[in-house]
Amino acid sequence: MSDYIFLFDLDSTITAREILPEISRTVGKEKEMREITEKTMQGIVPFKESFLRRVELLKDIPVTEVNQMVAEIPLNEHIAEFVRENHDRCYVVTGNLDIWISGLMKRLDMKGHYYCSKASVTENRIDRVISVLDKHLTTQQFVQPAVAVGDGDNDADMARLAHIGIGFGGVRDIAPALLQTIDYAFLDDRLCADFLRKLL
Amino acid sequence: MSKENTTVIISCAGMGTRLGIGMPKALVNVDGKPMIIRQLEMLQDCSDVRIIVGFQADKVIETVKSFRKDVMFAFNYDYRTTGTAASFSKGLTGARTYVVALDGDLLVRPDDLEWVLNAEEEVIGGTTPSTDNPVLMTLDQEHRVIEFSRERGQLEWTGLAKMRTDRLTPGTGHVYQMLEPLLPIRAVEIHTKEIDTVNDYENAVKWVRNHYRDAE
Repeated sequence: MSDYIFLFDLDSTITAREILPEISRTVGKEKEMREITEKTMQGIVPFKESFLRRVELLKDIPVTEVNQMVAEIPLNEHIAEFVRENHDRCYVVTGNLDIWISGLMKRLDMKGHYYCSKASVTENRIDRVISVLDKHLTTQQFVQPAVAVGDGDNDADMARLAHIGIGFGGVRDIAPALLQTIDYAFLDDRLCADFLRKLL
Repeated sequence: MSKENTTVIISCAGMGTRLGIGMPKALVNVDGKPMIIRQLEMLQDCSDVRIIVGFQADKVIETVKSFRKDVMFAFNYDYRTTGTAASFSKGLTGARTYVVALDGDLLVRPDDLEWVLNAEEEVIGGTTPSTDNPVLMTLDQEHRVIEFSRERGQLEWTGLAKMRTDRLTPGTGHVYQMLEPLLPIRAVEIHTKEIDTVNDYENAVKWVRNHYRDAE
């Protein structure tokens, strides 16, 4: 048995759809959301700034409603199953907000096993964002050798710092910066999960 | 059933510089299809296929994706300075009992590849010497490879071999150097075309059009 712990990006790695665009659709703000996302991907808006803007777009939706929607989002079932089966060795590392993803984390058996951004809530609405997670800094904190799985440019540092970096391109194309740092890539979530099991 | 215990590793990390094409050789179009697609067509009933990428990895992935998604990609960023063994070794993690090494720039006659995939023992594919500066293989009377050499040998090393995974030690040189300490290994004569130069390319296209046979 290896000593590896397994770090997972959440959005389009464990989930089969992108979380924030999915929520924005329900309140008719899909277009604005897409604009910010595209600018982020082109590197015009840095992740932290972009994340704050995206939260701003969705902050009027009751927090419990968003939490419920996120908890029910379709998952890449084979990867999700790996996470549940090996929950003691898995951690989710995501820029998303604790108050939005806590239900999904419970569904994944990841309670106490996730690193994320934080916000405060007043009367079921987001009052303010308190912190935005930096995946680079978070990954540096781990002392155990890690396997990291992600799909975005902001997963590139996590993959580089990990002992084994894996790109998952089954939902979105693997981002260019991540392609430069990974050891393996998969487009099929069953194959990805089978390979992760070999690294246990 | 032997394909069920076999992993296939295709090395597509390098650049096609000698061809002057500015793309990995695996993406070169041969009679209407990229080489990598021709190979994947022959591997449709192999459930563990791994492709080693490096130079223009995104383009190789995109091309493969249009045909098949259930493959694993492994990355060799040192493709400029390392040999084929480095790429091959990247694909060995968690491989099945047998592993087949296949170069992304090698065209193999389909029946020959099928034979190697189904072989129930270790085999090394050799062909009639035809390229500049080939690596040659000397065979013994039982048709087993006993030596690799630049100077002598009856068959040319093709890069195609089926090996027991647990006998292999990862390396950074050439794949045949990983096999050297494991000799003797049974040789099988196969029909292949390698594409290194523009001339090779034209020959290969004719060969494929003629059902993987030289014109009479």
